Amino acid sequence: MSDAESNIDPADGTDFQPTAPNTGEEFEPVDVFPDSDDFDLRPGSDSCYKCSTCDTNCPVAEVDDEFPGPKFQGPEQWRLKQADGEHTIDDSVMDCSNCLRCDSACPSGVPLGQMHNTARGEYVSEELNTFSIEYIRNRILANYRTSAWLASKFPRTSSFMMNFGPVRWMMDKVLKVPKERDFPEFATETFQEWWAKQGGATGSRERAREVRERRGEPVDADKKVAYFHGCYSNYNTPEVAKALVNVYEYFGYEVVVPEQKCSGTPMFANGMLADARRHAEVNVSSMSDLVDQGYDAVASCTSCSLALRQEYPELFDIDGIEEVSDNTFESVEYLRIHEDLKGEIEAAEVDGELAAEFGYHAPCHARNQGLERQAVELFGDLEGAEMEDVGDSCSGISGTYGWKSEKYEKSMKIAEDMFEHMEEGTESEVGMTECPTCAMQMEHGTGYDIRHPLELLEAALIEEN
Amino acid sequence: MASVPHIAVIGGGSTGIGIARDLSMRGVDVTLVEQGNLTHGTTGRMHGLLHSGGRYAVADQKSATECIEENRVLRDIASHCVEMTGGLFVKRPEDTEEYFQKKLEGCKECGIPAEVVSREEARQMEPHLAKDIDKAITVPDGAIDPFRLVVANAASAKEHGARIETHTKVTDLLVEDDEVVGIEVEHASGAGKHVHGVEGGTEEIYADYVVNATGAWAGRIGDMAGVDIEVRPSKGVMTIMNIRQVDTVINRCKPKGDADIVVPHETTAILGTTDEEVDDPEDYPEKQWEVDHMIDTLSELVPMLEDARTIRSFWGVRPLYEPPNVGSDDPTDITRDYFLLDHDERDNLQGMTSIVGGKFTTYRMMGEEISDHVCEKFGIDAECRTADVPLPGSEDFSVLRDYMDEFGLRSPIGRRSVERLGSRADEVLKTDGPNPTVCECEGVTRAEVQDAIDQSGSDLNAVRIRTRSSMGNCQGGFCCHRMANELYGEYDELTTREAWDELLQERWKGQRHALWGQQLSQAMLNYAMHAATQNRDNDPADGTPIDFSAFDNGQAVTTGDDAGATDVATDGGQHGD
Repeated sequence: MSDAESNIDPADGTDFQPTAPNTGEEFEPVDVFPDSDDFDLRPGSDSCYKCSTCDTNCPVAEVDDEFPGPKFQGPEQWRLKQADGEHTIDDSVMDCSNCLRCDSACPSGVPLGQMHNTARGEYVSEELNTFSIEYIRNRILANYRTSAWLASKFPRTSSFMMNFGPVRWMMDKVLKVPKERDFPEFATETFQEWWAKQGGATGSRERAREVRERRGEPVDADKKVAYFHGCYSNYNTPEVAKALVNVYEYFGYEVVVPEQKCSGTPMFANGMLADARRHAEVNVSSMSDLVDQGYDAVASCTSCSLALRQEYPELFDIDGIEEVSDNTFESVEYLRIHEDLKGEIEAAEVDGELAAEFGYHAPCHARNQGLERQAVELFGDLEGAEMEDVGDSCSGISGTYGWKSEKYEKSMKIAEDMFEHMEEGTESEVGMTECPTCAMQMEHGTGYDIRHPLELLEAALIEEN
Repeated sequence: MASVPHIAVIGGGSTGIGIARDLSMRGVDVTLVEQGNLTHGTTGRMHGLLHSGGRYAVADQKSATECIEENRVLRDIASHCVEMTGGLFVKRPEDTEEYFQKKLEGCKECGIPAEVVSREEARQMEPHLAKDIDKAITVPDGAIDPFRLVVANAASAKEHGARIETHTKVTDLLVEDDEVVGIEVEHASGAGKHVHGVEGGTEEIYADYVVNATGAWAGRIGDMAGVDIEVRPSKGVMTIMNIRQVDTVINRCKPKGDADIVVPHETTAILGTTDEEVDDPEDYPEKQWEVDHMIDTLSELVPMLEDARTIRSFWGVRPLYEPPNVGSDDPTDITRDYFLLDHDERDNLQGMTSIVGGKFTTYRMMGEEISDHVCEKFGIDAECRTADVPLPGSEDFSVLRDYMDEFGLRSPIGRRSVERLGSRADEVLKTDGPNPTVCECEGVTRAEVQDAIDQSGSDLNAVRIRTRSSMGNCQGGFCCHRMANELYGEYDELTTREAWDELLQERWKGQRHALWGQQLSQAMLNYAMHAATQNRDNDPADGTPIDFSAFDNGQAVTTGDDAGATDVATDGGQHGD
């Protein structure tokens, strides 16, 4: 029998952070291994005590009995991993939708998102045949920005062709892109084109100064943001991006729209880490320059803000990446921190088409940033609009996940709860969410018109004035 | 001699089992008895290092040479028990250059392949080595699973006709006219596979010769026949880390010292060790400071150990032996060599030889020598074949397979299973029925657990050492009941409960020394779960059988105003309970 008396120094005891990976300050996988494919994430398993909270929060595991779940994908698989170079990542990692529910659900700080992204990257680069349809299809989906850029050159033709029956049938057969889905329409004028017409940053500065003067604020107030609009609000829903600019300028902010590429979200989800890195390098470079000049970064898409805040520093070691991560915010969150948004909303009112009862769905990636109640709390006090939270289920589409024929059914099954709550919980046929692909899924399942909180904010604060 | 002699071997550690295999392969009749399960003593409490001999290359070159020879043999005959990780002797700035050179020379003199690598090269191999190390020497150290090795030796001995009895304690030596003629044993259960709750009883096993291979316990067996065997047991602590911080064996390159080795072992890394003489191999203090001291010291080589998760600690006792005239004060000075004590020559007691001292890595060589000795006595001139014939599981096999297609297993689980089972993988893993994962931490499936139960009976600790089930980071929190469930059916409820309790106790024993940080969280979660779902905070149902049908019907009570009606709540309890 032991007479082991604990001789642990109480001062040492306080070092222990139950919710942080307790791998010590010395350990930084990103620094140790310069190439993201070679991360050794085994130490991340130290924090897992197998409670299975991640598994119970996983929307895929709930509908797919074959899927082994995040506990296996993350801490278990990494702990069992061998360093001999012949160890293979299990192919089930491709069934993970990268919703990252597990990552925020973990009570113990296991870096599940980082583990999944890294494992998937390794699987794709080492196991997936680059000539396979799956690889080609995934690469096309992951590089949506490239397709969207091309399509935006001929927006009307593209919108027509992409939803033209025979074309969709072929895409389903050959590329395994489900014919059930409607491709989003391409805007006839991209946000960037509109922004240039508004005079870009210079125009914004002038307008911001006018507003500050009118609001009685110092004309030289340090209110400036760098807008990361992402691909979707540039090519497909410029009205969201325009709303952001209008709302920010309404509060006297100067907006700049720096050079930017895809945030990388669809690339992480498809294990295309090299592509993601290339894009991240551009984004970090331009964003960190602005952060150095005192700008904060804001994004209207919650997956974009999550990528910049969390996934970048977890996966890449790029100059300035930590500064960008620390200074990036979701666009409404930022205003709630710095402005009296609540007061403004209480005094406002909406009418017209946005005077409606919205079925609000919180995107998983918004949950990861602690923002799942933001829209409901904020607009609860807005006269003319009502917010109905349609529950905490995942929308199931998870970016490109629901855009794969073999995942389509699963994606729809995950969304069943959400569809039901939308249809039963709201009178007006209109929904709201921050995430562009959640919006696609909501529309696809219910036929509702889906809006972004910035659009409602714009209607409440500006259009009535 | 006309008939085949019958040899009794006492001790089911690596030495005893090596002797049993060797003798039985030479056609000799062997009975081996072990007081616990296989590896119960020192063998199950080692750090899993397959020595290259590098550790002894300066101070004990005879041992070093034996080590490198046997290192090569075991890689060949026990390939499914060995992982050739390679090893490094790491020199820190405060360690002397003189010793570093001696080590290098020593290795060369003993035929141990050794190369000097720079700090950069060493850190490229092992990124978590301290940034300020000087340089290192590479040697062919490896990792070896002592459990798997002993179990495979036992299986081979059985194939050659040996009788292996575990949970069988020697209570006396049978001595007639200054000759040992057998042993008296007490079985914890009936002969054969261990089955909990079965009356055991005593047995007298007569033998033509007795081999005492009980290591640190050798003196006790000697006492039974009035001979004095001066084993000097020395304890050492080992701590198991949750994950492998290093994939190479890391040794500190300095003369003898505590806490100077990290061995990657399966999913974990084992830190070792200390060296302190004890009086009783079964009763000695286990102190927290020994663990703390070891982690602190090894953090000088691998800084991240300081904050990494430990899952348990255990102590082992070395069966050191020193000829009576040497008299070393410090146990670290006692030779690691082995000695064959023929009690006829030494004590005028015929019929018994003891083997003491030695190391795990040279277990086979020790077995060969004592088997030669025994065979010589009986005029048997059969050749030793243990260095040439692979152990069961180590026949030709490849771990690179399509696990999902062949066994329906997820990649890392299939890989780990095949590594553990070696050439037995097909036989064990190809099952018709469903094959769920029983132990998630170590990737052990039902098929493997069932195979172990077939081998060892109702002893779940024996299942554990065969499969690694319950040896991962939750330390059985999530799988002990599943393992017990695998027993049920073939064994009744009481047998199952007893085995389950024993497994939980064993798992707790080592975790007591790791109760801080994450493992404390783990232990608390395990406790809460086991308390809430298995009543383990109170009185687990392990006494009398439970009448489950009593729960189904509730209690019928006649009430005053509605005679005949029962007042039973929907949960089966009584209203107002």
